[in-house]
Amino acid sequence: MLAASLNSALGNAGLLLMLSATTFGAFATAFSIRARATRTLQHAPRYAWLALAGAVLSVIMMQRALITRDYSLAYVQQVGSSATPALYNVAAMWSALEGSLLLWVLVLAGFTAAVAWRFRARTDDPLVGWALVIMFVVSAFFAFVSFGPASPFAAGPPVGLGFDGPGPNPLLQNHILVIFHPPLLYLGYIGFTVPFAFAIAALITGRVGEGWLMETRRWALFSWAFLTIGIILGGWWAYEVLGWGGVWGWDPVENASLLPWLTGTAYIHSVLVQERRGMLRVWNISLLIATFALTILGTFITRSGIINSVHAFSAGDIEGYLLGFFAVVVIGSLILIGWRGDRLRSPGAIDSPVSREGAFLANNVLFTAFAFVVLLGTLFPLLIEALEDRRTVVGAPYFDRMSTPLGLMLLFLMGIAPVLPWRKASTELLRDRLFWPAWAGVGALAFAVLVGATGWAPLLAFGLAGFAGGAAIRQLVLATRRQGWRGLVGRANGGMVVHLGVILIAVGLASSNSFTHSANIPVTVGTVQSWGGHTFELIEITETLDDRASVVSAQIRLDGGRTFAPAITTYLQRGETIGTPSVSTSLTKDVYLTLDGTVRPLPGSTDATLRVFVKPMIVWLWIGSGLMMLGTLLAAFPGRRRRPTDPVSAPVPVGAEQQR
Amino acid sequence: MARQVQSIKRWPTWILLIFLVVGLLAVGSTRDTGPRSPGERVDDVSRRVACPVCQGESVFESRNNASESIRAEIRAQVAEAERSDDQIIEDIANRFGGEVLLVPRSTGIEALAWAIPAAALVLGVAGLAMAFRRWRAAADGDRAATADDYSLVDAALASEDEQLHDHERDHEP
Amino acid sequence: MSDAVDTREATDRSGRRRPVAPFIALAVAVVMAGLFVVLANADPTQNREASTYLLGRPAPEAVGELADGSTFELSRRKGSWVVVNFFTSWCVPCKREHPELIEFVAQQEALGNDGAEFYQVVVDDDRDAVEQFFAEEGGGDWPVVYDHDGRFAVAFGVAQVPETWIIDPNGVVQRRLISEVTADFLGQQLQRFREGN
Repeated sequence: MLAASLNSALGNAGLLLMLSATTFGAFATAFSIRARATRTLQHAPRYAWLALAGAVLSVIMMQRALITRDYSLAYVQQVGSSATPALYNVAAMWSALEGSLLLWVLVLAGFTAAVAWRFRARTDDPLVGWALVIMFVVSAFFAFVSFGPASPFAAGPPVGLGFDGPGPNPLLQNHILVIFHPPLLYLGYIGFTVPFAFAIAALITGRVGEGWLMETRRWALFSWAFLTIGIILGGWWAYEVLGWGGVWGWDPVENASLLPWLTGTAYIHSVLVQERRGMLRVWNISLLIATFALTILGTFITRSGIINSVHAFSAGDIEGYLLGFFAVVVIGSLILIGWRGDRLRSPGAIDSPVSREGAFLANNVLFTAFAFVVLLGTLFPLLIEALEDRRTVVGAPYFDRMSTPLGLMLLFLMGIAPVLPWRKASTELLRDRLFWPAWAGVGALAFAVLVGATGWAPLLAFGLAGFAGGAAIRQLVLATRRQGWRGLVGRANGGMVVHLGVILIAVGLASSNSFTHSANIPVTVGTVQSWGGHTFELIEITETLDDRASVVSAQIRLDGGRTFAPAITTYLQRGETIGTPSVSTSLTKDVYLTLDGTVRPLPGSTDATLRVFVKPMIVWLWIGSGLMMLGTLLAAFPGRRRRPTDPVSAPVPVGAEQQR
Repeated sequence: MARQVQSIKRWPTWILLIFLVVGLLAVGSTRDTGPRSPGERVDDVSRRVACPVCQGESVFESRNNASESIRAEIRAQVAEAERSDDQIIEDIANRFGGEVLLVPRSTGIEALAWAIPAAALVLGVAGLAMAFRRWRAAADGDRAATADDYSLVDAALASEDEQLHDHERDHEP
Repeated sequence: MSDAVDTREATDRSGRRRPVAPFIALAVAVVMAGLFVVLANADPTQNREASTYLLGRPAPEAVGELADGSTFELSRRKGSWVVVNFFTSWCVPCKREHPELIEFVAQQEALGNDGAEFYQVVVDDDRDAVEQFFAEEGGGDWPVVYDHDGRFAVAFGVAQVPETWIIDPNGVVQRRLISEVTADFLGQQLQRFREGN
């Protein structure tokens, strides 16, 4: 009993420490900046250390409570179980609402402390000071929510001695990815708070320069990379666990993570225009604000239960707070922009739409439109409910239909943009530079037609992918020819590697979405079934049983070779049944096996029904993702200062390029 | 060599390329892949119907009993081969209410789901075009010398060379 | 998306800049205000209204299998009031509702020829479980319809059990009741319909 109260008491104490440190820190720092009290400003980082200490303490106590199965806590009663393996028990912390907020609090405290550490020598700079104030305010909000309305340390109803909890949701305890996906996603999600804080600080101080932008460039890239990898791991998890053979279902929670990614991607492109030309200042700030606000809105959508989603945690009573915070963020930002926006505007002009700047602008229009469509589709049921008082669903087919043209346009842009010079391009130059990429596109298209692809949309996707790939490779070849290995690092070149990864993903998505075949195949022991060029033979149906679950799996020999074991797992504590697919992967296609239906076959029986999906090119999603991560690392690698002769960016006069 | 490469990059090659692309697209997208199998039809239809109890998943994805039953219904209707995909979906939507439709209808208020994005895209592109026009105007304004510029230059020249006074008079209004 | 695009460029003749940002911020604020209203009024609870397009229309021509293996055709039941209840043995609300149904059937039998016919449709459950359910909970002395491929339930658009439907002697659907019902409520509904006729 003492131990039980210890977990709760210290956990709450940690959250209270963070709440008070950040609240006090916000006020103290803001007043010090107003009063120009340089000495007290030096204390600002200390609040961040205190907050981090509090968050770490809380998380340690939560983990301790989970490990010791401290059932005096309501949260542990909800997600704890003596049968959960140690690894998934760690992940149990973020398997429901309160604990996932605690993870959020920890990551946010970590980022605040990192900002305080990075800029500890420059606390007297008002820009840094205000950025810290913003970080403190955001941290204080989440610490408050976690301490008060959604406390993971709340006491549960008293339980008897032999009580055992149900453990985490079955879907969250049967794949290793649940350990990594949420924390990585949160690193990305929450990481955008840092550039947001600096953007707001830039608005408050009215500092026109590009200073804040340079300071937060790597922070934004870092967050973007983790958001990307988090989203991709989520898709991978869905593919490996959910059993419908897809990676992306346009579920509201998935959309909630995609929205900040879209605006964040727009930002990391348009920021280059600001660095280079000093333009689009207000627009970049707006994109960062939108990214952060969408993060909060997404959390609200998925945590409040107003929109149905497979991911949605049971609704707590925090939605009012989240909506209020979202309102504060939006209204505050709008007031700041309205007040300061005109002062920040730059005097420059973009000369021609056919230029690097023009391409970035087009990119921004497309990404913003994409984000808008996703947001509209996600909120559309609410709109209908408000206007006509009836329930509707907007699902994958809608989003697929809307995102196809946008995706194709983005691919096209990806082909053109890298070869465009800044300021202005002539037709001769385009004709010259786009020549080989265009033929690469034709080659890809011809190859696709040859191997039997049909339908205009996937064909166009393959052709444009070849085009964009050609353009990216052209840039890399030119850069490495000139600079050696340095031609692979730095933002422009690393960005091209990221593009190649995106192109692979686009190809994988286009082919797996368009050319998947599926069938229900009855299998019997002793007979070989064939379908779609594959053979399936049931060897036996086995059951393994432990404290946690009973797993009935069908041993299937595929194509007379390896055996695969799609399974149906029944989690004993929760009485829930989920299917687990088994996948044979190759470079050209995956064969995805699941046991059909919800009724599990009996162990030892001699027949079962398989649901089989043959999905081409899926593996390229994961390869492309790896390439994206590699490219991001290369981009973050400190590159050399750009030389004026660098054709990637310099306005090359017509004819100069033709020497090559 | 370089000259040859240069010469094939001229317009005729590009026109050939465009013909190739159009031709390949036409061949690829119109060629007959045979009728869909009943299984594929069931998949296509069930992808467009939401599972009524499981929150946003399609009947194709979800593995619960309600979806299982609806899939069975779709399978049966496909086997009867009397109705088109849209009619099957309309039939199921009628029974369960609109909330099983995953794609908003193109009539009534649900048409907004299609109209708003289109309007937004038009607005965005129009805004961009307007911005470019203004930028161009601003850039042109920068380039054309103003009367102030002239007088500045003239004053400078005048102080240097008295003989240019005649020209200065030409420029002064 | 066009907001900041416009923000960037606006100079009047004299080169002095017109303020644009406040107006755009205001426009965005108006849109956001609408969003807040929608979000704040969104109701997290799902209101399961008992409406269906079948109300006032002929009941679907559903077919199932009776416990003795014979075919059950709903369309053959015209001429008397019919109450159809959808259930499974493992659904908790069905279990809670069960005593009410037993009582309801007893009440209707007491009415003699005026009493409604009662059928229970088993949605997605196996025979043994259902029989054990009746053995434990009582009842089941009314016709039980097995809906093997789920088409009976799909014909009525029943996704979640329990549901209870009232069909008039002309075979027209009069009521759809979602979730648990009580014997008294069902009886009153029927009585009101009969008097309305």
